[in-house]
Amino acid sequence: MLDVDGRDTIAGRAASRGRVGLVFQDPDRQIVMERVEDDVAFGLENRAWPREAMVERVPEALHEVGLAGYRRRRPNRLSGGEQQRLALAGVLAPGPGILVLDEPTANLDPPAAAAILGRLTDLRARRRTTMVLVEHRLEAAWGLADQVLALGADGRPIDQGPTKEVLERSGPALHAAGIWLPADPPRRGQGSGSPVPPPPAPPIGLPIAEAYDTWFAYEPGRPVLRDVDLAVAAGDRMALTGPNGSGKSTLGQLLVGLLRPGRGTVRLAGRDPARTRAAHLARLAGYVFQDPERQFLARTVAAEVNLGLRRPERARAVELMDRLGLPLERFGARSPYRLSGGEQRRLSLACVLTRRPRMLVLDEPTFGQDRLGYEGLLAILRERAEDGTAIVLATHDERLVTDLARRRVTLADGRIVADGAVG
Amino acid sequence: MIARIEPDDRALASPLGRVSPLLKLGIALFWFLALAFTTRIGPPLALAAIVLLLAVVVGRVHPARLASAVLPLWLIALSIGAFNALFASVNTSEIAIEVVRLGPFRLTEPAIAAGLGLAARVIAVAAIGVTFAQTTDSTRLVDSLVQQGRVPERFAYGALAAYQAVPRFAEDLTTLRQARRIRGLRGEWHPRVLVGLLVLAIRHGDRLALAMDARGFGSGPRTRYREVRWTGLDVAAIVIAGAVVVGALIVPR
Repeated sequence: MLDVDGRDTIAGRAASRGRVGLVFQDPDRQIVMERVEDDVAFGLENRAWPREAMVERVPEALHEVGLAGYRRRRPNRLSGGEQQRLALAGVLAPGPGILVLDEPTANLDPPAAAAILGRLTDLRARRRTTMVLVEHRLEAAWGLADQVLALGADGRPIDQGPTKEVLERSGPALHAAGIWLPADPPRRGQGSGSPVPPPPAPPIGLPIAEAYDTWFAYEPGRPVLRDVDLAVAAGDRMALTGPNGSGKSTLGQLLVGLLRPGRGTVRLAGRDPARTRAAHLARLAGYVFQDPERQFLARTVAAEVNLGLRRPERARAVELMDRLGLPLERFGARSPYRLSGGEQRRLSLACVLTRRPRMLVLDEPTFGQDRLGYEGLLAILRERAEDGTAIVLATHDERLVTDLARRRVTLADGRIVADGAVG
Repeated sequence: MIARIEPDDRALASPLGRVSPLLKLGIALFWFLALAFTTRIGPPLALAAIVLLLAVVVGRVHPARLASAVLPLWLIALSIGAFNALFASVNTSEIAIEVVRLGPFRLTEPAIAAGLGLAARVIAVAAIGVTFAQTTDSTRLVDSLVQQGRVPERFAYGALAAYQAVPRFAEDLTTLRQARRIRGLRGEWHPRVLVGLLVLAIRHGDRLALAMDARGFGSGPRTRYREVRWTGLDVAAIVIAGAVVVGALIVPR
């Protein structure tokens, strides 16, 4: 039984709703109206606030999240970070007693994530709202919490109590369960004793993918990529970084021929990837989309991972799924849509890793992973890189960049603004 | 990616943009009905011309925007007319006067007249529809349906949320097709893609319903942040709509 303010939430559901505000991971799953101010007012209307009170409260709530002046804007034209702050404003407007946040920064670039955490810090300082923050990446969250409840993989609590006490008492247990601790800094390499990063390896082999003078626009007159020149060589470990909307995913999709450049040329293994037959393309390159759900094509996990595989590769799939913590004997018959976000992510990675293409382009591969998931993934990607597979990571995860990448290409506003060794 | 037609803010702030959307809907239906009483070509074309003129002058819709929305529909209207003229059963009648013979096709006078009449009416319907879409904010339409038309709120705001999800479905479809290709599967229009699309649509609907519930939607009586009231503009719109239809119907031919 779950009680809110002493009432059972099922029986007193309607009553508890007004008291509890929910913020989800994905901003476009929680914005319901077409204008910023209308969306903030939506929750107030539902709780039958008088109109005068709403007119006063809406700009106030927008101001609290740093969106003053956005009232008539359309949410679908805002950046991910702005959308997430709008979602927060909508939930804060009615003044909920309890605020539940489910990985609110998971989809955001570091500055946008910092902006959200900054707002939460302000809220905490005012001490008017109880906050429950569900998080995987805890670097910032540990500092925000007064109390910690750590859950194990089986859903049972590992420990509970004031943050400091939990860390002292159960640190090793939490570590063993794969939970990120504040003492897990973004590190470099596997070895703990090498403070000096290894020198950046020059591109090891011949170029696999090349883009020359490439432009791309989804809508005429609004280029997402401008004048991009890039070569990816065999064995390259490249991180594509840059703010949300800077064109990372688009560039990745161009390199593997899922999009056609508006201007310029893209070559994959010497040919135009957009004109390469699908069966051949899948041997040359793998691509994992940011949203795992949108790329599932089969009814069960086993069918999904075996889709289009040759017989010898199927044995590989079994082994890979074991290493990723998704053993087929346990997960094989389940629906891909019924997995948790982190499991879905690992399944989508397994689907391209089994084929051993010559280049892997991964869009936010570590999203929603706890430490065990992360380490399993990292080990597999390192092996692939050592075998000469080119790896391109479009990511905000600085830990992954330092652990895996040798080269960092930074995009801003559709242009490459930096290209150099990681470090 | 499919971009939705979003009316621009200038058009929404115009007098035509401020007329009650419910009333505009009523006027459009009234005009459609009036068109059913004529088979001539003149009245629908006159109506289309007047409506587009009103859209530009009173509705402040940018002419280029208006043209790019209405011209494709007009092409469809013409092809519907041509198709109907070509395959009208009257073409086989002995009495009907033959105008031209194209191989196996015999084109007769009454068939051409009927085809043109149909095309003209579709042209008028397209002009009215585009003008409505270009001067009406979807949120205000739903507010007006709820506040002035007594449409149930749960249904109306649910429909609005679903409408907003349309561009998302277009993106889902693109990604699913790309996902097939990169996994080496041929047939980007395989039926399986549609199954995936359906699953994603249902899941999105679920999440949206959850998000709306989580913000207290449907938990009791609501108040309104945006009020839609009848104004003098609405009275003027009724008078003008009546005058336009009378004017159009007296056009000869």
